[in-house]
Amino acid sequence: MKSAAVPTVFIIDDDRGMRQAIQDLVESVGLRAESFPTGEEFLRMRPAGRPGCLVLDVRLPQMSGLDFQHRLVETGMQIPIIFITAHGDIPMSVRALKSGAVEFLTKPFRDQDLLDAIQQALQRDRAAQEQQAEIHDLQERYGELTAREQQVMALVVSGMQNKQIASEIGASEATVKIHRGNVMRKMQAGSVVDLVRMADKLKLSLRK
Amino acid sequence: MADEDLQKTLEELSRDLQESKARLEEAQRIAHVGHYYWNLIENRVIWSDELYRIYGLSPQEGPIDMAMVREMIHPEDREFVFRTAEEALHSEVRADIEHRVVRTDGEVRTVHALGTVKRDASGRPYEMFGTVQDITDRKRAEETLQQTQVYLREGQRLAHMGSWAFNDLGHYWSDELYEIFGLDPENGVPAIEQYLAFIHPEDRASMAETIQIMYQQHAGCDVTKRIVRPDGQLRYVRCVAIPVIEQGVFKGLRGSAIDVTEQELLTQELRRQQAYLAEAQSLTHVGSWACNFLTGKIFHLSDEALRLYGFDPDSPGISFERLYNATHPEDEPALREQFFGAINARKDYDLEYRIYRPDGAIRCLRSLGHHDPAQEIGEYVGITMDITERKRAEEEHEKLRQLEADLAHINRVNMMGELAAALAHEIKQPIAASITSANTCLRWLAHDPPNLERARAAATRSEREGNRAADVINRLRSFYKKGSPPKREMVDVKEIIQEMTALFMTEAVRHSIKIHSELHEDRPHVLADRVQLQQVFMNLMLNAIEAMRETGGKLTISSRLSPDGQLIVSISDMGVGLPAESAEQIFEAFHTTKPQGTGMGLAITRSIVEAHGGRVWATANPGAGATFHFTLPTKAEARA
Repeated sequence: MKSAAVPTVFIIDDDRGMRQAIQDLVESVGLRAESFPTGEEFLRMRPAGRPGCLVLDVRLPQMSGLDFQHRLVETGMQIPIIFITAHGDIPMSVRALKSGAVEFLTKPFRDQDLLDAIQQALQRDRAAQEQQAEIHDLQERYGELTAREQQVMALVVSGMQNKQIASEIGASEATVKIHRGNVMRKMQAGSVVDLVRMADKLKLSLRK
Repeated sequence: MADEDLQKTLEELSRDLQESKARLEEAQRIAHVGHYYWNLIENRVIWSDELYRIYGLSPQEGPIDMAMVREMIHPEDREFVFRTAEEALHSEVRADIEHRVVRTDGEVRTVHALGTVKRDASGRPYEMFGTVQDITDRKRAEETLQQTQVYLREGQRLAHMGSWAFNDLGHYWSDELYEIFGLDPENGVPAIEQYLAFIHPEDRASMAETIQIMYQQHAGCDVTKRIVRPDGQLRYVRCVAIPVIEQGVFKGLRGSAIDVTEQELLTQELRRQQAYLAEAQSLTHVGSWACNFLTGKIFHLSDEALRLYGFDPDSPGISFERLYNATHPEDEPALREQFFGAINARKDYDLEYRIYRPDGAIRCLRSLGHHDPAQEIGEYVGITMDITERKRAEEEHEKLRQLEADLAHINRVNMMGELAAALAHEIKQPIAASITSANTCLRWLAHDPPNLERARAAATRSEREGNRAADVINRLRSFYKKGSPPKREMVDVKEIIQEMTALFMTEAVRHSIKIHSELHEDRPHVLADRVQLQQVFMNLMLNAIEAMRETGGKLTISSRLSPDGQLIVSISDMGVGLPAESAEQIFEAFHTTKPQGTGMGLAITRSIVEAHGGRVWATANPGAGATFHFTLPTKAEARA
């Protein structure tokens, strides 16, 4: 599975000394780290979908860290971000955190604070990755259902009895039972409650 | 009987003769006419009683002594009188002369003497008979009349006043009237049509109408009209006429015509001057006046002076008290003290005070009064002006100035904050790296077994970053230390411009200034001290922002390579521009045009640039503002 890949801490800071120091710190706790002087270089080097988190300097030469964060969100690249800055103020940190940053640290920071933030970020990334994987899995299963079965599944999770479903789709109750059995098997659902949870994750709307 | 009758008749005749003689004498006395009888044969002269009286003598019988008579004739007339008598004897001409008589008491009388000569058949004169009339009174009346006419003519001439009469006897114009109209009296009085032709075209119709009304309604007139004389001169003539009516019958018109050109022009000029003055007063809100403050008598009070107090200039009888009582109660005590103090001291005054207008508006007035010591105490002439707007503007200005001062202070504080933040960033960066590296070092040591290699690398880095922080501080201090050699490294100028642009962004936006850069395509690297180069940019950009802080505008930073490989950086603003006289002086220490400036900014800039082997200068922009340029040797040149 993809989620099993080793997570990497990506560091973007234009100051070489700072960059090296953080990379070394991260490596000292046994994590993988890669560092870049600019956001552009990071985008060029990072293969899409690699798990990890981002340690991002707010003040960067071309595009500021905050603008870079926006650009990542716009392009759909989901990676938890920890901001570091030498002169942060409250409005700036609020803006960063609102946009989904994990942490906002002011240089010089306590090494443990950064490491804790990294752990938190990686955990968040892992959870996101797992969730992503599960949804992906469910989508595949859902895709195997016939159109009729998808229709029946939607009606089942909306709480209808077989009899009601039969009159709804204009079929016999026996036929509905067969469709329902196929849905439960193909979706690998143990119970109706299980099926409802899956539908929720798939964001299937309970259409009438 | 016949004798009786004859006697009776003779008595009657004698009585008649006596009566007749008495009547003649009476008539002569009344008419002041005497007669004489000159017997040429016997050369005897008989005078009547009245003739004696005319000569101031008592009447007497018998012939008169001609030698005496000769003496009594005025010496100037004497020869003429006797010559005329002689001529009368030898010709057919009747003697008819006037001459003067000097009475024995010295009184001079004028007489009119007539004489006729009687001749016999052979033509020989034998008698002269004549009358002598005392015409002194008539003569005097005539002279007086002549004198009066001379005076009248002279008076008309002096007064430029002519007289005229139109009646049944004919038309009459006085000499002066011809003079006024520039006409020759020889040509006689002009007819109405001719007369109207001399009237100015604009006045002609109304004058024609006036004349018509005078004749139709037997009315007088008093009009002033313009005439155009034959010589082209324009004159103003006032014409006054009255109808002549005798026993209810209209006999014609008579009147006078006065040349009022001078008065009219003066009046017009005066009116014009008054209009200008009133206009000027109205425009400047300055009123003029003259009065005696002690008696309250106002000699002059211009319309504008009344308007300043909110009164209609046409409203009658505004008293001094009424104006004084308009004074704002808060200002009145001080005004009273200074005002009456000046009056009693007979001094000029210059006072400011507020008044309430009748409509309740408060205005601020300034009054200047001048007292001429030669005049009576309390008499002043002066002006009063409305200074409300000026006062308001002064207050606004003061408020604005205060606000400006506050803003300048805030900006300075902000600028210091920005500067401190920039420095803090510069120093914090290596310190943070150093601390992190030190912590990392400890972590490598805490590994089991300790990773000494990584720990050593981290410790080395920590030391290096610590030194870097120290370097920043040392270089900052070196700014203020003379002669310390700048530290040279390859610096990307573009990067510094970007950093500085970011640094000043907030300040620029606050003053509506757009920072715009036109940079050379390549990334020119210069061999320079990074912090010092930052300082140069900071100074020049700060100046540009300062120059545009009131107006806003565009700050342009451009860089290009000169043919000889120098990098030329130009920082241009749209602000107040350079002081004309001191384009070079501005780079000298302590030279400043800014109220809060230290005069060090450009001096430091120059010393840094020159220490880098470049130069710095300023030029005025074609439009507004100034451009500062500096050069730096590029990497390529440095290598060469």
